[in-house]
Amino acid sequence: MTTMKRLWGMSIDLDKCTGCGACQISCMQENNMPIFEDDSDIPKRVTFMDLMRVTNDYQGDKKYGEVQIAYVPKMCQQCSGNNPDPNKAVPPCVSVCPAVATDVSDDGVVSQIWSRCIGCRYCQAACPYEARVFNWWKPKYETDFKNSLNPDVSVASRGTVVKCTFCSHIWKRERDKMIAQGITDINQVQYTPACVSACPTGAMKFGDLRDPNSPVYEQKLKNDPRAVRLLHKIDNADPAEQQRRMKIKNYPNPKVYYLTSKQWLRDILSGFQNS
Amino acid sequence: MKFIEFLKDEFNSYSRKSQIALYVLFAIVALFGIFAIQVLFWGLGYTDMNNNFAWGVWIIGDLGLVALGGGAFFTGFFLYIFRVDKLEPIINSTVLLGWMCYLFTLVLLLFDVGQPLRAWFGFAYPNWGPHLMPISMLTEVFWCLSLYFCILCVELVPIVLKQRLLDRYPVVHAIGHYMHKLMWTMAAAGTFLSFFHQGSLGGGMWGVLYAKAQWFRPHFFFLAVVAATAGGTSFMMLIPWIAGKIMKKEVVPKETFYTLAKISGVMFIFYTSFRIYDIYSMAVKYVPAVDRSFMDLWGGLYGIWMLALELILCFVPITMYLVKKFREQEKTLVTGFIAGVSAILVSKMNVLLHGFSVPNFPWRGFTTYNPTIQEWFVFLGCIAIMTLIYMWFVKYTPLFPHLHHSEHASEGHE
Repeated sequence: MTTMKRLWGMSIDLDKCTGCGACQISCMQENNMPIFEDDSDIPKRVTFMDLMRVTNDYQGDKKYGEVQIAYVPKMCQQCSGNNPDPNKAVPPCVSVCPAVATDVSDDGVVSQIWSRCIGCRYCQAACPYEARVFNWWKPKYETDFKNSLNPDVSVASRGTVVKCTFCSHIWKRERDKMIAQGITDINQVQYTPACVSACPTGAMKFGDLRDPNSPVYEQKLKNDPRAVRLLHKIDNADPAEQQRRMKIKNYPNPKVYYLTSKQWLRDILSGFQNS
Repeated sequence: MKFIEFLKDEFNSYSRKSQIALYVLFAIVALFGIFAIQVLFWGLGYTDMNNNFAWGVWIIGDLGLVALGGGAFFTGFFLYIFRVDKLEPIINSTVLLGWMCYLFTLVLLLFDVGQPLRAWFGFAYPNWGPHLMPISMLTEVFWCLSLYFCILCVELVPIVLKQRLLDRYPVVHAIGHYMHKLMWTMAAAGTFLSFFHQGSLGGGMWGVLYAKAQWFRPHFFFLAVVAATAGGTSFMMLIPWIAGKIMKKEVVPKETFYTLAKISGVMFIFYTSFRIYDIYSMAVKYVPAVDRSFMDLWGGLYGIWMLALELILCFVPITMYLVKKFREQEKTLVTGFIAGVSAILVSKMNVLLHGFSVPNFPWRGFTTYNPTIQEWFVFLGCIAIMTLIYMWFVKYTPLFPHLHHSEHASEGHE
């Protein structure tokens, strides 16, 4: 037995993102997302990853030529609460579940067991990122789709909440492979989620937030002027102010960083302006 | 065939107006049955709820019924623990209303969860922390709600046993009598349990959602308890008053109404001051802590007016219940009942329905929600069944002992 040292995280370079949607498609394929008759019903759609189209003209005040748009892939941000230690983490959604269907693993990933979920949707109410989705209808897999289902991910039943788990089943698969080779140190295992491996421009990076050699080393990202975390304005405050505010309440403290050199995009992603 | 004859006689024993009311109620219940099957067998896709707007009209039903049914524990607490004997004539009706409110809260919750058959997971895999302190507020709701419902069932038994056909047997009579004597223990246990789930379902569940600006307030748990005591007592007076109006009889003596109105009025003073503090603390402390502006949460004038309406409704019962002149006039007193119940319902709508419509991302607008026909009829069906149960109890059990003291009434019910 080795102690888990990994803390999985992600960075997404929005300046490199073309909005092609390959991440979303590969996520749906990898995680056995159902296909409904009307998938244009976006508020009821079942997808772990939402490719959001964001514009600086959301208030309708920009003139011709000033309007800019960006695509923001958004999945579960794997929050941890004020304390980043996975053993003491309190993501907004985990503590509210009445049936312990969702939990934080020691690698910091917020997991969910579909078959334990009673479908109360309390976690959806708690999530600030709208990252959790509910199976409003019975998931359907027409004819040939059934043959291409991924055996590593369980198929959810109607009336349960599902979410992105950073493809932790791939990590488990890689772990099994290593054990077969006789390597039992869990910290040797590396993996890449489906969305990251599908990204054609290399905008998405995945790795260990604690490892200085990883592309998503947290200390480096925190000091990067291009980095911003979704709806997390407290990052802009000075450390003393952060300490003061964290005594009042928990903050989500997500493990996904967005990188962009566009100031308007950083402003809008970090949260509401008029506070 | 005998049974059908019996039903016919039963139906014909009602007045013409009551028969029309019964037709309407049965029609709603029939539609409830159809839509209930549709929702339970084919999924919650038939509702207008979605991934942003996770709960809708049924949660207002849950919270409203629990808060209003909370009047049962508070009235029982005053009668059995503080020995305010003037409340005796209203207690049977109060217990019945409390029992029905809780029963239909559970029914609506079953509709609301995506997997009703897994509802027992809440008991089998509860999210307890150390020292049996619930981590999830919903775990606390599961346990306290179901345990308190059991207590209300026990409290209801003596009323059912007093039914004329059953009361003839000496054994049944004795059981009913001694259960009634021991009812203070149930009232005490009920108060204890009710305190927790009123707090958790009504407030704590929202107060702990720290990532949501519209909900996070650590004191919200306690606000919900006070809301239930204030609004619940108003509801416990409103329904017997309506029953009395329909039956054209004095079912509850005036002094009982006055006593309970005074209690409710004092609770409304506490509730209104607490709610004003709550809004103030939201505006200056908790919403800025989530990097939002308080005014932006209300979506313009509509939301602000809803908030103003809630506060105006809170001041009406205070005036009507506590000023002697208004309390002793029927019209003003009833205005107080209606305003008191509405104040609580509007507050639940402001917190919940409005809370869900608040955008999470700066570039999104407010979400609209318009309940579908399925949601309406499941909701209205529950209310219709509650009305039918209440009518049955009025006719066949001594729900209003005062009525039996003054005259032995058996005809001309609702």
